[in-house]
Amino acid sequence: MKVSTMEKYILLKNKLPEWINMITPTYTIFAPVKEEDLVFFKPITKPSEMTLAYSNAIVPPKAQMFHQTETMFTFTQGKNIRVNPASLPDEKIVVFGIRPCDAKSLSIIDPVFTNDFEDPYYLTKRKNAILVGLSCNQPTVNCFCTSLNGSPASPEHLDILLTDIGDKYYVELNSEKGKQLVEKTKKLFTPATDADSKKKKDVEKKAVDAITRQMKINNVDAFVKKLDTIFDAPYWKTIAMKCLGCGACTYLCPTCHCFDIQDETTLDKGARIRVWDSCMRPEYTLHASGHNPRPERMNRVRNRVYHKYNYYPKNHQMIACVGCGRCIDNCPVNIDIIDVITKAGEVKP
Amino acid sequence: MKENPYQPWLATIDSICDEVGGQRAIKTFRLVFQDEKVREKFTFLPGQCVMVSLFGKGECFFAISSSPTQKGFIEVSVLKLGKVTSALHECEPGDVVGVRGPYGNHFDVSGWMGKNLVLIGGGIGQAPLRSLIKYVVDNRKQYGKLDIIYGARTSKDLCYTKDFAELKTCEDTNACLSIDVKEDGWSDFVGFVPDNLMRVNPSPKNAIAVTCGPPIMIKYVIQNLGKLGFSEDQIFTTLEMRMKCGIGKCGRCNIGNLYVCKDGPVFSYKQLQNIKGEQ
Amino acid sequence: MVNEKQLRDEVKKLVSRDDVKYVIGYEQGTYGFQVTPSFAFTPEEAERFIFSPLCANNLSVYLMLEEKPPLRKGEKEDTRKVGLVVKGCDARAVVQILQEKGLKRESLVIIGVPCTGVIDPKKITVKFPHQIKPVDVREEGNHYVLTINGKNQKIPKDELLFEKCKQCEYPTPVIHDVLLGDEVKSTKKEEYKEIKTLEKKALKEKWEFWSKAFDRCIRCYACRNVCPLCYCKECIVDQLSPQWIYRSVNRSENTVWNLIRAYHLAGRCSGCGECERACPMNIPLTMLNKKIEKDIKELFQYVAGVNLEEKPLLAMFKPNDTEDTIL
Ligand code: SF4
Ligand code: SF4
Ligand code: SF4
Ligand code: SF4
Ligand code: SF4
Ligand code: FES
Repeated sequence: MKVSTMEKYILLKNKLPEWINMITPTYTIFAPVKEEDLVFFKPITKPSEMTLAYSNAIVPPKAQMFHQTETMFTFTQGKNIRVNPASLPDEKIVVFGIRPCDAKSLSIIDPVFTNDFEDPYYLTKRKNAILVGLSCNQPTVNCFCTSLNGSPASPEHLDILLTDIGDKYYVELNSEKGKQLVEKTKKLFTPATDADSKKKKDVEKKAVDAITRQMKINNVDAFVKKLDTIFDAPYWKTIAMKCLGCGACTYLCPTCHCFDIQDETTLDKGARIRVWDSCMRPEYTLHASGHNPRPERMNRVRNRVYHKYNYYPKNHQMIACVGCGRCIDNCPVNIDIIDVITKAGEVKP
Repeated sequence: MKENPYQPWLATIDSICDEVGGQRAIKTFRLVFQDEKVREKFTFLPGQCVMVSLFGKGECFFAISSSPTQKGFIEVSVLKLGKVTSALHECEPGDVVGVRGPYGNHFDVSGWMGKNLVLIGGGIGQAPLRSLIKYVVDNRKQYGKLDIIYGARTSKDLCYTKDFAELKTCEDTNACLSIDVKEDGWSDFVGFVPDNLMRVNPSPKNAIAVTCGPPIMIKYVIQNLGKLGFSEDQIFTTLEMRMKCGIGKCGRCNIGNLYVCKDGPVFSYKQLQNIKGEQ
Repeated sequence: MVNEKQLRDEVKKLVSRDDVKYVIGYEQGTYGFQVTPSFAFTPEEAERFIFSPLCANNLSVYLMLEEKPPLRKGEKEDTRKVGLVVKGCDARAVVQILQEKGLKRESLVIIGVPCTGVIDPKKITVKFPHQIKPVDVREEGNHYVLTINGKNQKIPKDELLFEKCKQCEYPTPVIHDVLLGDEVKSTKKEEYKEIKTLEKKALKEKWEFWSKAFDRCIRCYACRNVCPLCYCKECIVDQLSPQWIYRSVNRSENTVWNLIRAYHLAGRCSGCGECERACPMNIPLTMLNKKIEKDIKELFQYVAGVNLEEKPLLAMFKPNDTEDTIL
């Protein structure tokens, strides 16, 4: 849908709880909830449980579509083997307060779960979800979405975007799904005025200006190509020396989508499950023969960077990074993707 | 929504053939889908793979070693190595496994019609070639000369000996076996597969060479094919990677931007030269 | 704290030696209060080295992470030494590894830093959440002086100090080849206050506390990978047959994981706190470690990683050992 035809409304802040209450009977609402100084997307039953004064959730809301642990089906073991399909949830969900970058990440990983074989687990949840975003008025130190053509107040990958413009939210409807959700609760919304639109622009500009860390590469597309020429550069070894090979950067990355499949059993019953996995671990590519095509940390660190900035663009014409900064925030040894990419840009082929 | 691509069909182990008596254990399993509809629906081409599950143990990715011209069953050859393959080796006829697939690309059997084929295999790597050989033999008139070069460490490590006994009697097929070290009673070539290739000395003219086997063998076979005048786009091979999903989602089987499970397992040497990535 | 010039000179001397491969130390990180591990192969690279109250990482983990690709034909093993900058707690990890014969003493050159405590990165980021430009942090008596945008700010040490440092009994590295500056003597004593409070709680309360914490675990294993003493060739969580811990991320498997991790470090954990620092989910792993440390101290009068001559706890047997923990 074109931005120009987008419908714009105003929702007074004190009306927000009422809106949430009105949609709660129909939807399971995932919203940011604070726990131990961290923010998680969790199902809420009343608006007071959520916190909207947050910078970003520690675990990205990809986890709502791509569960860390998913039962793919169950089976009975023994002579009389039977496979029982897992029931796919048909509950409708609203992910409330999702950031524009995290919404973009879902658009980025959609093709993986769609391609020639549709992934029922992800797609069912994805199709049943309405994304109600919240502009990021106070980006964190490591936010750099603007380096990757994103904006902290972009409605692009959302159904609805709310922007805090003082005592009210500026509401942009960006899809049919979004329109329908508002339609049913129309009495809470009033049309936005030009002054409101201007306010939103100001808020957005302020947020954009607050993002000061940037990848210093001139041209994203050229950089993708450049990576083809520096695959064998000693640079990768240098940055990988300090990598611990944990999964923090990938598990918490909103665009990482790798998984492992395992059978878990009790005496006669079993389940085939899938769990998040990470290319930063040596076991990820280890063959049963003992051969490992990516034996060193250098191979794995490089794979993460290349997968996001070279392989993925080659396959799907998108960089698989939205600039959310989580991998930077959570790396115990300060391996910093902004820095890694910036310096890779300087490496001589 | 379409069928769940992760959920396997049930198949019964019809028979098990102990392939080798050497140090490494290889068994070929003949699998028959329980559901008749699946039996009919399941079609594949040589080179393609399946994901076989042993419920409670997990899944493993195998090249189908039977030919699409053989109806009613598929076969996979399993080298006992890890958790799932070891458990598979414990199975008996009548046991039930899960199968999903077929996955990946295949040998270009229609594009190669009218060409001479040189098929070079080593050890368990012969599995996808076995499918191709059977297919070519069953459509013999469509193809030119057929050279089959196959070797293993010892005579006990050679797979598919029954097939080879038959192939040797075929007039229009040149099947050349080899073992690495001399043994009593061995009348075929003694030496490594790449050397046997030089001895057989196939002509590159109107030919396609396919090689499957251990990486080190492939490396020297490709070198020698070069010496014989084969160009990069006349040489094909299959690659192996650790696999989990088989359908290009779980991420782990990538070589550069290609996924072996989906974009492979068959690659031309030319393609391999151009991808940057770890094999 | 440490004179950085003296540190760099020492590192330069070391890397110039033929029998030293490289030295592991700290350098300025990429933003805010970050400090990052640094590897100096040449004297020029040693110029980057720093030491400040922000140097929290325990670098001894890199000794165990060194990759040794298979030797090619005719290639000889590189037996040159690795140099390492250590604080008091880091040195205990090194001693523990040496006791366990995980490394040979002669393969190391240890530069000891007598430590007056380091800053908890989580605490300082809470105070300055928007700090992007690197900050100079100095210690002045009982205060830290932070220079932010040219202005000095004084903050009482207590507000920023790592909890572990408040009870540290071994601030001067118990093992070193070079010591930068004068020994720091500790008058502190580990009182296990937090542990004692927890011990007094009812079982149900304890379980509530821990299950809530373990529920957050995403099994990223940053706690394991950052730990210098988690160096098993194959970690129990990665084993497939037999599979002790399922991959499913749920309360039961997470609990098993967190307890196994803690137990595998019983009598070995040097208390560096890296696991908790690395944990993105704020799980109080130090409490688990400390509880075990306290029990061991009471049962066996043993402290890990303080005496190179001693055997590891689990390799020691005394006829009068209490058997309360086994069976
Ligand atoms: S790579 Fe890092 S910055 Fe980019 S999307 Fe992933 S976590 Fe965010
Ligand atoms: S970076 Fe690694 S873990 Fe993340 S999606 Fe890519 S391959 Fe998977
Ligand atoms: S979080 Fe940091 S240390 Fe851990 S794997 Fe990622 S880059 Fe390496
Ligand atoms: S670092 Fe934290 S979240 Fe990660 S595995 Fe350890 S305890 Fe769990
Ligand atoms: S368990 Fe934690 S505190 Fe103990 S040595 Fe390991 S990282 Fe340090
Ligand atoms: S096996 Fe999962 S992507 Fe190839």
